[in-house]
Amino acid sequence: MSVDTGYIQNADELTGPFAAALAEGRLIVQKCNDCATAIMYPKYRCPNCFSGSLDWQQVSGAGQLQTFTILRMGAPSAFDVEPPYCIGIVKLDEGPQLMCRLHPGADGTWNSYVCDQRVSFAPADAAEVAQRPAAWFTAA
Amino acid sequence: MTEVWTPPYPEPGSANDAAFIGIGEIPSGVYRERGFMAQIVEASARAISDAQLAHTDIDQIVLIPCLHGIADQADLIFSRVAEELGLHGRVKSSVMVHSGGSTSDNATRMAAGLVASGQARNVLVVYSERWGSADLQAMIDMLSVNGIPKEWEAPTGLQFNAIGGLITQRYMHQSGSSAEEMAAICVALRAWANLNPNAMYYEKALTAEKILASKLISDPIHAYECPFLADGAGAFVMTSATEAAKRHDAWVRIGGSGGCVSHYSAGQDADLGVLGWVEAAKEAYEAASWGPEDADLGEVYDSYAAVLAIAVEGLRISPKGEAAREFYKGRFSPGGQFPLNTNGGLLSAGHTGVGGGTALLIEGIRQLLHRAGPERQVPNAQRCIVGGSGGSYMDAQIMMLERATR
Ligand SMILES: [Zn+2]
Repeated sequence: MSVDTGYIQNADELTGPFAAALAEGRLIVQKCNDCATAIMYPKYRCPNCFSGSLDWQQVSGAGQLQTFTILRMGAPSAFDVEPPYCIGIVKLDEGPQLMCRLHPGADGTWNSYVCDQRVSFAPADAAEVAQRPAAWFTAA
Repeated sequence: MTEVWTPPYPEPGSANDAAFIGIGEIPSGVYRERGFMAQIVEASARAISDAQLAHTDIDQIVLIPCLHGIADQADLIFSRVAEELGLHGRVKSSVMVHSGGSTSDNATRMAAGLVASGQARNVLVVYSERWGSADLQAMIDMLSVNGIPKEWEAPTGLQFNAIGGLITQRYMHQSGSSAEEMAAICVALRAWANLNPNAMYYEKALTAEKILASKLISDPIHAYECPFLADGAGAFVMTSATEAAKRHDAWVRIGGSGGCVSHYSAGQDADLGVLGWVEAAKEAYEAASWGPEDADLGEVYDSYAAVLAIAVEGLRISPKGEAAREFYKGRFSPGGQFPLNTNGGLLSAGHTGVGGGTALLIEGIRQLLHRAGPERQVPNAQRCIVGGSGGSYMDAQIMMLERATR
């Protein structure tokens, strides 16, 4: 049971809601109750107005692919996925951006992706998200 | 409204203007027989001798961290270097400065500040790294934990070559640079390394054909475009202009500096194709009252080709989007118009962790002291732009170095 101290006390309180939403197939970002700034990655205080009054909001999942890379060898040992896999950075229409995974296209490769193209949130299955709580995107 | 603040930099020639007076370096590469502390002592001894000082003249030690292991890092933190150099009981303090790849710039700021404020007379700054002999998977794992937020980016499988891939993809998209033009950056750096006996790849040639035929590691980066982890060590000595003039006809001063921390997480940078260089350059050029058109050479952090291209454009050495094409045309190669990373850079002199930026800084000082030897000395070099970047290219740090004479 958590006590309401009036501030976010640790990383679990900060990140927990994001992972919980992902597990339900939803993408949320933090928002500031005072200045309405959409914040990602979540912070203990609003980076714009420094308010400590923070909440969450669901986003459309639509955004622009800033960049991406296909890692073909040298995956971290703790990351239990055999390469190749594709990592990208998406700028959401709501403003914030985040590191994500990209689904392969119909041909099983990531060859059709280009920087600045439109992408949309397409959650991975529950088992994947439980193990690795990342947002996944696909070509819009 | 924010108050306008003009930094009170020491005037050239003022008594306590900080001065680089000596450098020391041992070759970078894979040297399994060389020990961590042995490297530190040898590089330090060379720098102290180059400064024409006795070891007992050093009254403060600034340490640049290693990344290969916690035990050696602890030895640095707990003053082992003071004892190994015979300076225990003599030095005022032994302290570490750490901001990853840009540590050299911040260690310089600290050493210069100690001198300018009268806290120190002769400061020794030294690094030693054992990346070349370390276990590769352990280093990959270390580089996928440190500098990558565990809550947000580790779950995507990110590691450092992937960060290089993300930056390179963005840079190539924005600039329209081809794979051949990107490869030309590594080829130019190798040509410089072939002139530097201390470089890891002093004796090995590299061609664009070889790069483009190598495996893709993290698209669009090929195997021969990844930094090669190396063992190495280097040191330098700073003092005041007053002290410098007692023993030296020439030394190197800091005309000004600039810096910008643009992010912690790679995914949070506003534009990975730009990073913090534009902001940092504005500050540095104003402080120094000179800019890229006045510089004789540059020594700029280059752990991936695109990282260097982005910096070169942010520093306005190249027009926006043109850095890779200018490399391709040979502008930055030996014999080219603007000598850049004349030691071969991290990509060809060897990536000695946090020390890689220090090796570039040392080369800049060496060039301005006119001690780079007949093969790679930039004729009559007077001004050098040094650029450093740390972590996931979280910051851009600039030192405007000037040759000063008695
Ligand atoms: Zn706010």
